Amino acid sequence: MAAPLREILVPSVAEGGAIEGVGIGWARRLSLDIVIPAAVLILIAGGCFLGPLILPIPKPVGGNILSANLPPFSPGHILGTNPVGNDILSQILYGGRVSFEVGIGTNLIGLVVGGLLGTVAAYRGGVMDAIIMRILDVLIAFPSLVLALAIAEGLGPGELNVIWALSFFTVPAFARIARAATLRLREQTFMLAAQLAGTRSWRMLFRHIAPNILPQLVTFGLLGVGVAIILEGALSFLGLGVRPPNPSWGNMIALGQQTLTAQPQLVLIPSIFVFVTVLALNLLGDALRIRWAVS
Amino acid sequence: MSTPTLAVGRPEAVPSRWRSLATAFMSSPSLQMVGRRLLVAIPVLFGVTLLTFVVMNLLPGDAAQELLGANATPQQVHELEIKLHLDQPPWVRYAEWLRGVVTGNLGTSLASKQEVTTVLGQRLPVTFELVLYGLLISVVFAVPLAVLTAWRPGGIFDRLCTVLSVAGLSVAPYVLALVLIYVFAVKLGVLPAIGYVSPTESIVGNIRSLTLPAVALGLPLLCFYMRLLRADLLEQMQSEDYVVTARAKGLPPWRVLVGHALRNSLFGFLTVVGLNLGTLIGATVLVEQIFSLPGMGQELLEAIDNRDIPVIEGTVLVFALIVVLVNLLTDLLYAVLDPRIRYGRSAA
Repeated sequence: MAAPLREILVPSVAEGGAIEGVGIGWARRLSLDIVIPAAVLILIAGGCFLGPLILPIPKPVGGNILSANLPPFSPGHILGTNPVGNDILSQILYGGRVSFEVGIGTNLIGLVVGGLLGTVAAYRGGVMDAIIMRILDVLIAFPSLVLALAIAEGLGPGELNVIWALSFFTVPAFARIARAATLRLREQTFMLAAQLAGTRSWRMLFRHIAPNILPQLVTFGLLGVGVAIILEGALSFLGLGVRPPNPSWGNMIALGQQTLTAQPQLVLIPSIFVFVTVLALNLLGDALRIRWAVS
Repeated sequence: MSTPTLAVGRPEAVPSRWRSLATAFMSSPSLQMVGRRLLVAIPVLFGVTLLTFVVMNLLPGDAAQELLGANATPQQVHELEIKLHLDQPPWVRYAEWLRGVVTGNLGTSLASKQEVTTVLGQRLPVTFELVLYGLLISVVFAVPLAVLTAWRPGGIFDRLCTVLSVAGLSVAPYVLALVLIYVFAVKLGVLPAIGYVSPTESIVGNIRSLTLPAVALGLPLLCFYMRLLRADLLEQMQSEDYVVTARAKGLPPWRVLVGHALRNSLFGFLTVVGLNLGTLIGATVLVEQIFSLPGMGQELLEAIDNRDIPVIEGTVLVFALIVVLVNLLTDLLYAVLDPRIRYGRSAA
């Protein structure tokens, strides 16, 4: 068997391409598979939130009809304008704010509410566990997009309502993961030790359980942000999310669909932004999952 | 246990053929599992319909107003409400609806006055076909691709597939649908962009009309399944004793991978496919809308718009029922494939 010798001579390459045992401190922690997607995300998010404040970019709404349908690379409108004369770059940046706010908002709600529910269910067990899990079963058996549609339709279009509607997806998902992770923790000796030492429940929850299940929840959350961005787009696409003229990536794609044959760039540009953002989130989530060795 | 039998080695004697069959039937762990699971499913289905009803009733806007339009007088709205029994308290209406469900009557649509069962009967086959087609595309391609990537982990094919699958997972379904329409319908003109051809009209036309929607539905799923199966295959190949045994007895590597590791990995894979069906059905709402397919999803969107509660309830009930039944079926299949589960022992 030549394998052991080879392992000694050649540093083993982890799945993501990070070389283990090479580099020190932060340099070792920051491998390319984490840095690149993180940089892309910071660039896009920074552009969306800071770009309109720094750069001379026209407002996303109230464009001049005289400058409608300009092709990309027109003077003053780098990405062109849409059929009502709004600047596309500006719409992308303001629409991106919606995507990030919805993505992060829904997953934060899911992380806190779902995480608490799942942890309490697993830690308490018994009737509490059964009740919480049955309620979550109902939410999971429910075609979630349907519920989101109904809620979004009922609450009326708007960003905050989209966040509420989509949180119905994230809460049960986070709760399931938190419950499974807590159940696994319960078997650990340090939990028993803490219990024998007379640690109070809330302290167990926040000092012993939470730090141990957070990596798993956060990596799931990163993937969840991507899913939420796609779903926000879906709701806006169906006219139940953010409504035009207020831009969101989803409603830009929906509007562009009407002129798909003549001006494919109206669909293409926001699609590329959705794609790159979600791709970066997925890659970062994957890289962190491998790094933290969570399944 | 009175009559001795010739079947040497059988632990149990057979008193009478029918009684033994009956006992075997009643004590079959699989059947008991089905019974248990069906009992659990009833409250879940009940919860789903109740939740739908509560959500739809909490929402502002009412059916009578939506049906009559914005110009209707309050008098007209009130008359229609009485006619449709909308003036009764919600819990009375829910109880009435529930009584109907037990007898197989899902009520009538407020908007089209058709029986909900008739509406669902027309819409369900389209969605069913679409989901089946999408699922077929994803599974049929995912399994061989996963095996090929797990054959040489870290090889060129594996890397290519890994990159492509992350990309595939990151595409929003509506983006994918529009790209497919643009490329295959607008630019190449090989497949129809929208519309549905029923199989009774033309089988080929039917398949052609559903191909783009099914690909839009199945491609992200294909990527997901491939990654999942690949990861599981690699784990089996690296850490399982039976793999070492199979290798040690000199089986060719591909037989270890396909005959042993894949067979074991398929268990978990099946469960995930079952669990994912809910998401898949949810996604049909969007896909049907983009491709103008007359399925359940389109009906549901219209019904939500009209506040047509009987249709919404019927659609949601059918969706939830399918999810519950498929999960049950998955578990059963699991039991058929894995004797440890069949005999009530935990596989974990």
